[in-house]
Amino acid sequence: MSMIEFKNVEKYYGDFHALKNVNLSIDAGETVVLIGPSGSGKSTLIRTINGLEEIQEGQLIVNGYDLHDPKTDINRIRKNVGMVFQHFNLYNNKSTLENIMLAPRLVLKRDEAENKKVAMELLDKVGLADKADSMPSALSGGQKQRVAIARSLAMKPKALLFDEPTSALDPEMIGDVLDVMKDIASDSDMTMLVVTHEMNFAKQVADRVIFMDAGEILEDSTTEKFFTNPDDPRAKQFLSQVERH
Amino acid sequence: MIILSSMFSAFSADNLKYLLGGLGITILVSVVSIVLSFVIGSILGVIRYEKIPYFSRFVGLIIDIVRNLPLLLIIFFTYFALPRFGVHLSILTSAIIAMTAFESMMVAEIIRGGLKSIDFGQTEGARSTGMSNAQTMWHIILPQAYKTMIPPLISQFISLVKDTSLATAIVLPELMYRAQIVYGQDNTYMVPILLLIAAMYFVVNYGLSLLAKWFDSKLA
Ligand SMILES: Nc1ncnc2c1ncn2[C@@H]1O[C@H](COP(=O)(O)OP(=O)(O)OP(=O)(O)O)[C@@H](O)[C@H]1O
Ligand SMILES: [Mg+2]
Repeated sequence: MSMIEFKNVEKYYGDFHALKNVNLSIDAGETVVLIGPSGSGKSTLIRTINGLEEIQEGQLIVNGYDLHDPKTDINRIRKNVGMVFQHFNLYNNKSTLENIMLAPRLVLKRDEAENKKVAMELLDKVGLADKADSMPSALSGGQKQRVAIARSLAMKPKALLFDEPTSALDPEMIGDVLDVMKDIASDSDMTMLVVTHEMNFAKQVADRVIFMDAGEILEDSTTEKFFTNPDDPRAKQFLSQVERH
Repeated sequence: MIILSSMFSAFSADNLKYLLGGLGITILVSVVSIVLSFVIGSILGVIRYEKIPYFSRFVGLIIDIVRNLPLLLIIFFTYFALPRFGVHLSILTSAIIAMTAFESMMVAEIIRGGLKSIDFGQTEGARSTGMSNAQTMWHIILPQAYKTMIPPLISQFISLVKDTSLATAIVLPELMYRAQIVYGQDNTYMVPILLLIAAMYFVVNYGLSLLAKWFDSKLA
């Protein structure tokens, strides 16, 4: 069953045509990596999925609800679709633990003792149980990102969106974050869409790789095919450029 | 010598009591106006920040109009003009309403500026977890914004305290008004009395600025 489905989606910023006739279907449990050059529309595409950007035409069905339908309650979709940002976006006025516990308390009305237990388990899972009472300003970038991932997981989402989760990190921090993401990807129920430049990560965990350029999806192939023999010439060229680095 | 002796009689027990009563009214008007304008200003500031179609523009227009009027004109309006529309208010109520109306707009602009200074990523982080706009505002954005707004808010409130003296014009028996009454009895009282009420204003407002510093160190 498809968890995320784009049907002829068009997105404009004013006059600028940012997504051009996007068709894409991601099944529940799939891990998909989205790549493409800077400005190609990767962030735009991933942000439409939880309604941070509106689409102007087409249908975008997430977890059974059409995002383009004004009757759809966006918060209901967001409850089930978490997002991890390049710059973490942890709440600066809340401790690590409170960052994780806030939305389950307010949105899911989760019982306080249960909420704390879940939050501590997640902190443990991302290796930061000792940072429960730290403020975000006292964490390194890599630690912030792992807390942000724990915050998304606390909602027990069906799908997680990652927009360049390691691009703002120092190289030595990237591995810890990728390890947490690999762990999540191994959960066969979790749907993941990841925008990243980490090609090794893509090779290891992705079921499929999508390549886009100038607002269009140009290639949508299995990981194996994408890295060995992509159809699209621009995808080929892009690959040879990133592999050289 | 003359100044010293006039100081002695100017600061008679009766006069001091009378002036302290004036200070009480100044503080009463200030505190009530500060509390009301903080609440109303916060609401208006959030509305203007939220860009609700038409409504936010309308509120913004009102804010800009009122902010650009002299406070004295607003005080005259509430006391002298409103009765013509059948609204009769006591001097004290008129003064409080005028101060609140004016200060709310100043506070609204400070609040909006503070909200705008918070990284939009904070909002997106919260909204992406399914929190509503109101929950995001209340739990994440406002607490962070208030922190940055404390210095400008307090300096706004300091000018509010000073501006209560304008209500002398509608014979509100606040500190400035009563000072004029006291030295009206005897012209030699003028300098000592003005010095004394200067000290009173200074103590109140300096207290406020110490409060601002305390908040700043507490929240930093
Ligand atoms: N809010 C906006 N208003 C106007 N144009 C925008 C806006 N956001 C993005 N764009 C434009 O849309 C295009 C796609 O942007 P997007 O951020 O989705 O690219 P990206 O593939 O994520 O790039 P990067 O790898 O640099 O993050 C770019 O040309 C960008 O300038
Ligand atoms: Mg991007």
